Amino acid sequence: MTSAIGLSGLQKTYPGAPPVRALRNADLAINDNEFFTLLGPSGCGKTTLLRLMAGFEVPTGGKLTLFGEDIAHLPPEKRPINTVFQHYSLFPHMTVLENVAFGLKRLHKSDAEAKQVAQQMLDLVHLADFGDRKPGQLSGGQQQRVALARALAPQPRVLLLDEPLSALDLKLRQSMRAELKRLQRETGITFVFVTHDQEEALAMSDRIAVMSQGEIQQVGDPATIYEFPENRFVAEFIGDADFFEAEVLGGTEYKLSNGALLTGPRTEAAIGSQVTLFFRPEKAELKQSGSGLPGQVSEILYLGNSTDYVVDLAQGGALTVRSENHKDGTALADVGADVVVEIDPAAVRVVTT
Amino acid sequence: MTQKNDIRWLPGFNWVTLFFFLFLYLPLIILVVFSFNASRSATVWSGFSLEWYVKAFANDDIQRATKNSLIIAVFATVFATTMATMAALALSRNRAVKNKSLFGGVLILPLMVPEIVTAVATLTFFSAIGLSLGLGNIIIAHSVFCIPFAYLPIRARLDGMDESLEAAARDLYSNKWDTLRLITLPLLMPGILSGAMLAFIISLDDFIITLMVAEAGSTTLPIYIYSLVRVGITPEVNAISTVLLGVSVLIVTAAYLVEKKK
Ligand SMILES: Nc1ncnc2c1ncn2[C@@H]1O[C@H](COP(=O)(O)OP(=O)(O)OP(=O)(O)O)[C@@H](O)[C@H]1O
Ligand SMILES: [Mg+2]
Repeated sequence: MTSAIGLSGLQKTYPGAPPVRALRNADLAINDNEFFTLLGPSGCGKTTLLRLMAGFEVPTGGKLTLFGEDIAHLPPEKRPINTVFQHYSLFPHMTVLENVAFGLKRLHKSDAEAKQVAQQMLDLVHLADFGDRKPGQLSGGQQQRVALARALAPQPRVLLLDEPLSALDLKLRQSMRAELKRLQRETGITFVFVTHDQEEALAMSDRIAVMSQGEIQQVGDPATIYEFPENRFVAEFIGDADFFEAEVLGGTEYKLSNGALLTGPRTEAAIGSQVTLFFRPEKAELKQSGSGLPGQVSEILYLGNSTDYVVDLAQGGALTVRSENHKDGTALADVGADVVVEIDPAAVRVVTT
Repeated sequence: MTQKNDIRWLPGFNWVTLFFFLFLYLPLIILVVFSFNASRSATVWSGFSLEWYVKAFANDDIQRATKNSLIIAVFATVFATTMATMAALALSRNRAVKNKSLFGGVLILPLMVPEIVTAVATLTFFSAIGLSLGLGNIIIAHSVFCIPFAYLPIRARLDGMDESLEAAARDLYSNKWDTLRLITLPLLMPGILSGAMLAFIISLDDFIITLMVAEAGSTTLPIYIYSLVRVGITPEVNAISTVLLGVSVLIVTAAYLVEKKK
């Protein structure tokens, strides 16, 4: 099966002194009918990659295909790809309906057909009665949905969305997440979604590509990205993690840099070599006594549905344990309490740095 | 705003303001008032009359000069605004154009060149190439010096326009021309209109350059008024000037309203 969008060795360098290498040798295959997310910190090249797909930038190297066809040098109007812009970019001098019908008219659909499809699209985003308004008379959330309807109306093969939710408040953002998922399912169009919000990415995506400094670090479904990050950047960027430098003792045994021993996964690394271990703070357990790493609670951060306990380890160093409170709402331990941190070997991961 | 910081509470503010506005507008008010004077005097009031307006409108020379001025202003405005729009589009939207700030600077440089220098240069140039097109000479000269005036509001509007709107149009299957026609120009129209109105007024009002390049028979209104004044100020001059003032105020107000309407 050919992928909806394929990149191989795709590069974009902006001229300047020094030149900015916004995208370096990106290889990626986005499947048809997939909700695919580009996730990464500010400046990592997400928008650049999206603009290359849309046709607003020309790559400086590599290949870009749409269903197997090379599109790297096609102008935007020749690509069956539409974009939802970050600030919506609705045409202020046209009504909502004219905005949504714009792409259809440009594709030489008859006025009647364009109008009818545009109205269907407005129904789809629950704005059926807003067709006669100007974009300036809508709230941010409504403008957002018009932008979606406008981009979906010509039935593109791929829909690109550049941080479409970032200008909305928290509640609206959460309801729009569900809305976007629904639209993707109902239309069957491939969505390429850009965000720097890891929670959003995990909640919505079929697959995620994590980017950093113009490079794709890892591609996978949300659970794989969260549970088995391939390197320290991905582990740190998605969720929280406690890291340790450790020496491989052989088998499943590791010696942490503070001298403590820890059991983890089997590794290919040679005995005596240095590796980085990490685990998610919610996978460790805080105990009054028992086997594990002894220490003292130095700080408590109450998060509502859970609490973070920062534990100073007796042998040096510190780590964070995330735990639910007792059912009656009381904390597991107070600041200053002596505790033992138990880490299940199955929760420990080895990453390359 | 607190009372303390409000400039209106500074001592003497009212008087300074009053003086300022009198200084600016008293001469104009006197000119307008005396255009309605019944007698020939431009200094002693002797009753209301529209006589001078009737005289002015009936004067063949004034009619001819007005016609010349309007023809020149209309053509110069169309040429200058078209050029200015193209220049603004090239300098703010075309990625292939290099040295944008240099060209932008050169474009508005004529605003800073003393007009008499431009006038002499234009005259010398026209006689050097032997150009003698009657009104055409003046139209060419006006078109040229009106370009920067038309350019500034157009460029300002274009710079304030979100480029992603044009990107969105391209994304939705419009080619470059359709994007220009359907998105850029409609949104730019207020800037183009105020640029055009500015160019129109500047052309209508120009004296020095016109005086230099005008040939016999291409007298414009400002030049004709000047020739009248040299003979002596009459309420007739006041009447034409008042009409001219009225036209300017009308156009400036229209430009302001268009700009405000976005
Ligand atoms: N037109 C341009 N000219 C030069 N450099 C650019 C241009 N556009 C982007 N860059 C640079 O390329 C890099 C990647 O930018 P890009 O906009 O793709 O990042 P991003 O991941 O979308 O970031 P954000 O989350 O802040 O939107 C940045 O270092 C940026 O400064
Ligand atoms: Mg971006």
